[in-house]
Amino acid sequence: MMKTLLVLKEQIRNFYGKYEIYLIPLFKFLLALLSLLLINGAWGYMEKLKSFPVVLIVALMCSFLPMNCIILAAALFMLLHLYALSVECALVVFAVFLLMFLLYFRFSPKDTLVVLFLPVCFLLKIPYAVPLAMGLLGTPVAAVSVSCGVMVYYILAYIAENQATLGVTDAENGMQKFKVVFDGLLNNKAMLVTVAAFAVTVILVYLIRRMSINHSWTIAMMAGALADVVILLLGDLIFDTNISIAGTILGTIASLAIAKLIQFFAFNVDYSRTELVQFEDDEYYYYVKAVPKITLATPEKSVKRINTQRKAPARNGSRPRY
Amino acid sequence: MLNEERIKLMTRMASYEEHEGKKNVSIGSYFRSDYISLQVLKSVISATIAFVILCGAAVIYDFEVFMQDIYNKDLLAAGRKLLLVYVIFVAVYAVISYIVYSYRYSRARKSLRQYYNNLKQLSLLYEEENRK
Repeated sequence: MMKTLLVLKEQIRNFYGKYEIYLIPLFKFLLALLSLLLINGAWGYMEKLKSFPVVLIVALMCSFLPMNCIILAAALFMLLHLYALSVECALVVFAVFLLMFLLYFRFSPKDTLVVLFLPVCFLLKIPYAVPLAMGLLGTPVAAVSVSCGVMVYYILAYIAENQATLGVTDAENGMQKFKVVFDGLLNNKAMLVTVAAFAVTVILVYLIRRMSINHSWTIAMMAGALADVVILLLGDLIFDTNISIAGTILGTIASLAIAKLIQFFAFNVDYSRTELVQFEDDEYYYYVKAVPKITLATPEKSVKRINTQRKAPARNGSRPRY
Repeated sequence: MLNEERIKLMTRMASYEEHEGKKNVSIGSYFRSDYISLQVLKSVISATIAFVILCGAAVIYDFEVFMQDIYNKDLLAAGRKLLLVYVIFVAVYAVISYIVYSYRYSRARKSLRQYYNNLKQLSLLYEEENRK
């Protein structure tokens, strides 16, 4: 069982190495499409953005632009939808995005992806996968980006909940609306509990993963998931945050499965890849395609010899070179 | 003539320059003090903008209370307090970014050492070729 899985992993790796140039835009396209469709589904206040051709064009554009453009597009979609609902909401969320960028994401632009992933995973009911994955793959600093993502989701969810009050166009109530949105941001107990739970999970998973014990990755994700559930349920008891217990536990189990998958693909593998580089010297232009040699190859078919009288020929000569 | 060894070396360097080396090479072109002070300056500017946003949010949040209070408040004292908070905020942020960027600078330097060695080796290879 394990062996077939490992062979499968090797094959996927080979496939990825070969077709990387086409696969990465495809992944970007799918990610952009999924997130934009989910955003449209949850906060679709602007009808124009909800038409499928618009989403498709933006997703196609994202497929060949850098990764951060997906985040930019998603943020823009969110802001435009909120603008259609009420200008105040859009302003507050814009200010929150700006603060996050100015204070934190300047330092680690790569982590910005988490802020997109978290709302998307919340909508798919598996937000618990994100802190587990960040603990497994990242550093403890990722706790900050995970917290930012949680905040973004909860503000948006709060706005969606109160869209009846916020959506009313009323010149006198402008200031009141600001206050409602800020209150949702500052006094949101469910958000604070989730931020705490996810931050603890990231740090715990990271610490255990780095220990030199057997199965540290598996133990780390188990402990992380357990801590996550316990903190969320404790928070529910203390602050009455109305977290669905069944949803939390089922979501955590699904997230553990995802974390296991991540471990399977990320643990101990060097995804060195085919590279196309260009350079020149005085005489030539060079267009070099460098294909990495694979050290751990898919096992060759070994032939068991029943006839033991003849010595088996040395297999070194017949080994295919990669 | 194509020199295979040199091509291998150049390929490795080009791939470094294209991926993890991209940032390091640009960091490596600064002096340590220049790089860090530039980054800290940028941090101070963004912290200032963030502070203005936060203050604006605080005012808007309690706009009516703020408008009532503004006439019977000691504005000078309030301004002084605000300035103090601002200075502390920016100072803390600047210190954090100083630590982060000095760590990054030394890490980039370390990563570039191998690259510079390769450069030296490359020039040696060129000299050899010219001698032939």
